Amino acid sequence: MPGTGRAGPVSGQFRRRGTLRRPWIGLLFVAPMLVLFLVFRFLPAIGALLLSLTDYRLSGKWDFIALDNYTRLLSDSVFHEALLVTVTYTVIFVPLTVLLSLGTAVLLHQVVWNRGFFRGIFFLPYVTSIVLAAVIWKWIYDAQDGLLNAVLGLVNIGPIDFLSQSSTVLPSIAVTSAWKGFGYSMLILLAGLQAVPKSYLEAAMIDGAGTWQRFRYVTLPQLRPVLFFVLVIETIGAFQVFDAMYVMTGGGPVRSSYSLVYFLYDSGFKYFDFGYASAIGLVLFLIVLIVSLVQRRLVGRDD
Amino acid sequence: MAQVLDRPPVRPVVETPTAGRRTAARLTLPTLLTLTAIVTIVPFAAMVLVAFAPPSGQTFPGALNPANFTLENFRTVLSSSDIPRWTVNSLIYSLVSVACVLLFASMAGYAFAKKKFPGRDLMFWAFLATLMVPFQATLIPSYILVARLDWVDSFWGLIVPTLANSQAVFLMRQFILQLPDELFEAAEIDGAGEWRIFTTIVLPLIRPVLATLGIFVFLWHWNDFLWPLVIGQSGKMQTLTVGLATLQTQAVPINQIMAGATITVVPSLLVFGLLQRYLTDSIAMSGLKA
Repeated sequence: MPGTGRAGPVSGQFRRRGTLRRPWIGLLFVAPMLVLFLVFRFLPAIGALLLSLTDYRLSGKWDFIALDNYTRLLSDSVFHEALLVTVTYTVIFVPLTVLLSLGTAVLLHQVVWNRGFFRGIFFLPYVTSIVLAAVIWKWIYDAQDGLLNAVLGLVNIGPIDFLSQSSTVLPSIAVTSAWKGFGYSMLILLAGLQAVPKSYLEAAMIDGAGTWQRFRYVTLPQLRPVLFFVLVIETIGAFQVFDAMYVMTGGGPVRSSYSLVYFLYDSGFKYFDFGYASAIGLVLFLIVLIVSLVQRRLVGRDD
Repeated sequence: MAQVLDRPPVRPVVETPTAGRRTAARLTLPTLLTLTAIVTIVPFAAMVLVAFAPPSGQTFPGALNPANFTLENFRTVLSSSDIPRWTVNSLIYSLVSVACVLLFASMAGYAFAKKKFPGRDLMFWAFLATLMVPFQATLIPSYILVARLDWVDSFWGLIVPTLANSQAVFLMRQFILQLPDELFEAAEIDGAGEWRIFTTIVLPLIRPVLATLGIFVFLWHWNDFLWPLVIGQSGKMQTLTVGLATLQTQAVPINQIMAGATITVVPSLLVFGLLQRYLTDSIAMSGLKA
């Protein structure tokens, strides 16, 4: 302890503490979490890799089959469909949710009036479960007595069976997920907007920049890192979509909302094809990894 | 861009539009904000209205007359489904997880922040690295592991694997790092034991972060779906989210489904109403994701 005058985030690295003589104390404090991580995080992570190289069956019997699961995936049309559905969903969901959260964040930033109240309203769906959102919206989309078709009926449109047509099912689910989740990205973006230095905006104003120009050329570039963070978080989330589809459509109609994780779930818990399901999980992991790495490169290059 | 614009602030040149244009401009954004808020809240309002509407098979909007509101849907769904059982399961799953995660994560966070031991940094980074692995990617091996332990369809299987929470450890470590070392040193000189230092000094000091993290862990578990779906296979072990999902695959009338949905959302709303500030501030600061 002598010699440590300063406290702060860095001091932990260089401290000379009495506990140095008793390293087991630190280990003891980490022990419960360490055991949990070793058994329920690291072991399954290694397990996933190994399982994907076997044909592990419900009985617990297995044979090593090398990369057979992966070659099977490459030629499995259900996998191709699920991948296409997931990518399509992501392409619809991510811009939708980012625009929604950016729009509401900008509105909240501009309008001081009742800001806390409105922020609370936008954030409300976020604290509920995606299952709840799916149950409510399934009814909203209902062709017979759904809310949306009742409203559309007032202007003589429809009824449209949103969840039973392959052209509307993914956008409908994307809207549901965006409604449920945009509050999170909105808060992150709002914090980002509030961190943009006022002097930049004032300088731009003096240079004669209008509202849109100030937003486009001052605020947006400043917001870039935050926007990238939100983009990546939402993209990764979109690739893991499952709950909403399970509840709203069961993957239908004819697998047009059958996502990668749905395919994984069915392979594992419907067909008990554990090795194959693990291989799908690894593909999912690789996708998430690539998205994160691409983001790191893009952001790293600019800063 | 930044260099070009980085000048000392000067009073902005204010444009002077006509009074009418100014009022219109001033009203546009608040109006837009209000409309967006209404659209956001409509699904909730509809859920509650349908839940309280008479179960006569009438549809929107005829059944939405407040004079006819009734609790009958709630009574029916509570007696005909396992909602009470599911609620108890969800409460146990969420509350036990909150208690365990808070304790274990604060202990680990304290050690990572203030103790020196072999392999500390490697261990910490290994914990963090698990954030990159989506839970679904390890769903199958996790399930097989739980099955081998004979924990399927039990609270052990439901709760224990979800306690390895790297976000919680990370948050705790970052917070405890900022506490001055002198506090612990003084206590040590006074002869306090390690566990006593932890319970009487560390825990009281990190109360704000315990509250924030507690809310998040509660919501993670209360709203969790895939893991309870896989582990709680018999009806007895289902949680509210899983129960609600099964409810609406059966031929249950929409009024009763919405009554059930309303029940599931009450705890989240309570947490939200009481602790909204904690939640929103901590997301803005740390990017914690529920």
